[in-house]
Amino acid sequence: MVSGALIFQSLILGLMLGGLYALLASGLTMYFGIMRVVMLAHSAAIILSAYIAWRFATLTGLDPMLSLLGTVPVFFLMGFLTQRLLVSRLRPATMSMMSVLLTFAIALIIEGLLGYFFTGTQRRINLPYGTASVNVLGASLPVVQIISFLLATVSMAALYVVLKKTRFGWALRATIQHKEAAQLVGINTERLSGYGFGLGLATAAVGGAALSLQVTIYPSLHWHWIGPLMAIIVVGGLGSIPGAAIAALVLGTMRVMLEIPFGPTWAQTIFFVALFVTLMVRPQGFFGGRLAQRF
Amino acid sequence: MTTKTWAATAATTAAIALAVAGCAGQSGGGSDGEENPDDPIVIGVSLPLTGDFAEPGKGVQRGYEVWVDEINANGGLLGRQVELIVLDDGSDAARIVSDYESLIAQEGVDLLFGPFSTRLVVPSARVAQEYGMLFVEPAGAAAEVFESGFDNLFYAAPAIADDHYNHLAEYILSMPEDIRPQTAAYAAQDDPFAQGTAYGLRDQLEAAGIETVVDEVYPPNATDFNQIAAQIAAADADIVVGGTLYQDAVNLIIAMQQLGYQPRMAAFSTAPTNPEFPEALGSAVEGILSPTGYALEASYPSNVEFVEAYNEMFGTDPQEDEANAYTTGQVVAAAVEAVGCAEQGECQQQLIDWLRTNSVETVVGELSWDEAGRPQGAHMILQYVGGEIQIVLPEGEAQMTELVYPKPEW
Repeated sequence: MVSGALIFQSLILGLMLGGLYALLASGLTMYFGIMRVVMLAHSAAIILSAYIAWRFATLTGLDPMLSLLGTVPVFFLMGFLTQRLLVSRLRPATMSMMSVLLTFAIALIIEGLLGYFFTGTQRRINLPYGTASVNVLGASLPVVQIISFLLATVSMAALYVVLKKTRFGWALRATIQHKEAAQLVGINTERLSGYGFGLGLATAAVGGAALSLQVTIYPSLHWHWIGPLMAIIVVGGLGSIPGAAIAALVLGTMRVMLEIPFGPTWAQTIFFVALFVTLMVRPQGFFGGRLAQRF
Repeated sequence: MTTKTWAATAATTAAIALAVAGCAGQSGGGSDGEENPDDPIVIGVSLPLTGDFAEPGKGVQRGYEVWVDEINANGGLLGRQVELIVLDDGSDAARIVSDYESLIAQEGVDLLFGPFSTRLVVPSARVAQEYGMLFVEPAGAAAEVFESGFDNLFYAAPAIADDHYNHLAEYILSMPEDIRPQTAAYAAQDDPFAQGTAYGLRDQLEAAGIETVVDEVYPPNATDFNQIAAQIAAADADIVVGGTLYQDAVNLIIAMQQLGYQPRMAAFSTAPTNPEFPEALGSAVEGILSPTGYALEASYPSNVEFVEAYNEMFGTDPQEDEANAYTTGQVVAAAVEAVGCAEQGECQQQLIDWLRTNSVETVVGELSWDEAGRPQGAHMILQYVGGEIQIVLPEGEAQMTELVYPKPEW
């Protein structure tokens, strides 16, 4: 009944979707790794960036990707300020819980402002290449999905290189692994946490632009993303960027493949099934070691 | 804290995020219950002015307001002025029940109007039925509205969801065998109205031997339609039918274009009549079909007045929700004028009986109803032809141009 061509096509589409999930989840897992912050406003920031890309494209007629030149630095700054002015004021003992409340509020504010300025109408950028696709061994690969997959690959590779190869990355990882020891060797862990937060929000800027190419956007869309993304970072091992990437690819592909037998309504529960299984079988996540040694 | 607790915190958070809901509203003013021939006729309605259905809810409110304005400017109903009490139920099915209870029992309204959408129409119609009140509603088109045993309900639009595509079904079935589509793919949102439209057409086409090759249902929050599009493209159906509202149609169409699928006919409910639709899709809209219960250009005499009055009041053209609300007013007014009363009690049954056996001229044409309150018409079929959305079916005076088949490639 189900043809091989359809399965191959679904596999390709699933991998592409997984790439997008990976990009969107990478920032989320980093906040947690650096500061034990549960960042509920991450997907709201993604939608904000998507709206900026949409607005930029409709106003200027230029490619929405160009909006990244502005949004990436601005989001980095916003993330830095959010951490310095708000998140760092929370007491370390209750950080995980209180950050939920704080970032929940930020998410609601972003959603409210988007609704106020752009109404609840669903928007989609009408791109000249929006419907183009490339033929790969009989399967169609939509150009916009290739773009977002490349964006995901490039930004995650950049993130990895920054964390592994630069002094900034070493200092950031030292902060993650042992804050007091890092302070002892002269690292300004406070400011570094701010940079880490900024980096996380910068990935949201990239993710939002990628998202705006592919789907209709509306202010409350972020609630539909935060659940699956949270599940992905738990499955991948909290704080582990490679873990989040692998979990995203696997779960994204599974979601698309499972739509064939079960239909779209049940297929989306795969994220939560995976979450439950992870918590029961391997609560530290499938792809992370001990939290202190991730990355 | 251990990793386990962190993981649990993140997991709980994910669950909380999914459970976000809730909104606020306010209650409307009151009036005293004493009847006097000079008192205004008070009409009560509870609408979803906030929450999920806020957008269409406000549209319905605008339609009602224009109707009240028009009727008062023309001397009122039975020579009395008309006053509208609007409550906000926040799209909440529990709140709408208490709203209608209080409108009937405390405010002592003379007449009721219905709210927006099946989910709210059913509970509110039940309250109205308990009090024996006439219940004309503008927006509950799904089958369950008419299968709940209401004997007081009338839907003020041309057709229930299942009959929206009747003219299109007739057209397809009358095509010569050799060019008629042989296979069809259906994708419908998990929503009683959206599914009703698609399945109404599916059942007629299946009965005539047109094979269903894909039949998928997706949740209302779906934005990723790649997999459904892949299935439809793999089956290469001759005709694709979407039981859609808006964003789902846009995302599905683009996903199908990306996979290079070219149907000979494509029909989607609701979405194509949205002004955003051609903006989001560009030239790909050409040839797309959609049923509609209301057309601005329709030449019914009261429609010309309605469009003019609406433009005067709001500075834009009315859409379907507004038109159906206005129609509700017209239907109730016709019954009141014919029977000669507007108050709670026996009068309500007389109004119900009158509508059961008579038809009413409205902005969407002449309406009449069956025992369960189903209107006895069908929707017009629109198609994007030459970049404009035009009436292509039924053939007759309303038709603006011929239906294009097969549709141009998108």
